[in-house]
Amino acid sequence: MTPETGFEAIVTVHHAEIYRYLRRLTFRVGEAEDLSQETFFRAYRAWAALPSDANVRAWLFKIATNVFRNHARGERRRLIAHATVQASRREVDPDGPEAAAMAGELQALTEATIQRLPVKQRMAFTLRKLHELDYEIIGQSLDCSAETARAHVFQALRKIRTSLDGHVLPRTESTR
Amino acid sequence: MTSKPSVCVAIEPDLIAAATGEAVASAASRVQSHIAGCATCRNDYAHYRALETVVGDLRSTLPAADAEDARRRLIERLADLRSRLVRYRVAPSPLGPILIAVTEHGVSLVEYLGRGGAAGSRLFREAGVEAEEGGADLDRLHGELGEFIEGRRRQLDWSLDLRSARSDFQRQVMEVTVAVPYGAVASYAGIARELGRPAAVRAVAQALRHNPLPIVVPCHRIIGSTGKLVGYAGNRVALKERLLGVEGVPVNARAASIERGAMYHYDPNPDHQYCLPTCGSILRRPLGQIRLFAHREQAAVWGLEPCVDCRPDLHPLSR
Repeated sequence: MTPETGFEAIVTVHHAEIYRYLRRLTFRVGEAEDLSQETFFRAYRAWAALPSDANVRAWLFKIATNVFRNHARGERRRLIAHATVQASRREVDPDGPEAAAMAGELQALTEATIQRLPVKQRMAFTLRKLHELDYEIIGQSLDCSAETARAHVFQALRKIRTSLDGHVLPRTESTR
Repeated sequence: MTSKPSVCVAIEPDLIAAATGEAVASAASRVQSHIAGCATCRNDYAHYRALETVVGDLRSTLPAADAEDARRRLIERLADLRSRLVRYRVAPSPLGPILIAVTEHGVSLVEYLGRGGAAGSRLFREAGVEAEEGGADLDRLHGELGEFIEGRRRQLDWSLDLRSARSDFQRQVMEVTVAVPYGAVASYAGIARELGRPAAVRAVAQALRHNPLPIVVPCHRIIGSTGKLVGYAGNRVALKERLLGVEGVPVNARAASIERGAMYHYDPNPDHQYCLPTCGSILRRPLGQIRLFAHREQAAVWGLEPCVDCRPDLHPLSR
């Protein structure tokens, strides 16, 4: 009869990551806070019915994803406009050393491309590449199969890679 | 793009997978042998590898300083939500559909539903309450309540949330009523006396009439001073009679009254002795001062001895 104890532990463990996830999807501090609050409110309401052996992290990502999808409907155009502004602002890094500036530019470019991705690709990419979730869990979050989730991520990678064409990329070993 | 050889197009998914560390071993070696001989794909591969580095940086660069503030505000708002959130579930019972609601403090409402069903519940008439359906704990509570109503359980050891009581007085009445044990009855006057307000008999009856936790706060065990059942949950006296019957309290249905003559009596005395109803003039004593109980085991719980005159231990009441 004391759900608060357990749920506060859930907030403590998972809030930062869920918040970062939503922050990455929205790229706006206030929005991310509202959406993560909504996520944890919904989670709190549903928590009593959650089986004790459930994967809480996957469950929270699913809720956050739904919250974001509802939010994203009709907001998409505005988000893209914002992303462009944000990206061009992030490109300027006058004080940093040249290499850092270059890396910063690549990052900003990548972020801007991520934001222009269709919502499902953007979410799949963020869940996989930035939060390193399994495709199985991503599929559950996006209401699709693990294979489809994987296809979304690869589509996203293709588009980001194309957007980086013509830019000097960081050096990596070309084969393993 | 369209001029890309078909073998390169076919291997692209594996190439992306290999470059981003997601390919199985066989696919990875296929990719390696392909890019050894294909400059375009080698270049592609290098780009995806480089992209993986950029993404890796992205993974670690998001500032989290504002996350801490956001979390603190979330905890505050959750506390507010928690204090208002009520979860409920409706389940059928031998007494008709019953709604049970719980808050973070415990069970806050047990309600016999009328024709309106859950929609007519008082839960939705209370300001500031956020009602949410469901929860496995509610199934357990309904299970226990069902067992109680069917006579297979004597105790409901639930933590209770009495915050929805209309007044401190009602809360006090409920607290005293909870202490009236299974198979025993007390009178409204007796409860009023116990609260130190012997004149507040009507107020006690009113408080119990609006008891938000019937059955678990056993207002069905509280009766009129003449032994009449009086009222229950609005106009549901038949339910009161039934619940008392389940507990073994003898009830005369026609008279809507308990059979005082078929219960053990305890008229407070220095020797802590309880009696048969036939002992002396005890049957004529006002009910407000007397404890009545159907089961002799209750005497032991209260620390009572059998009366040395009427010997209820030797002549137990038959059921």
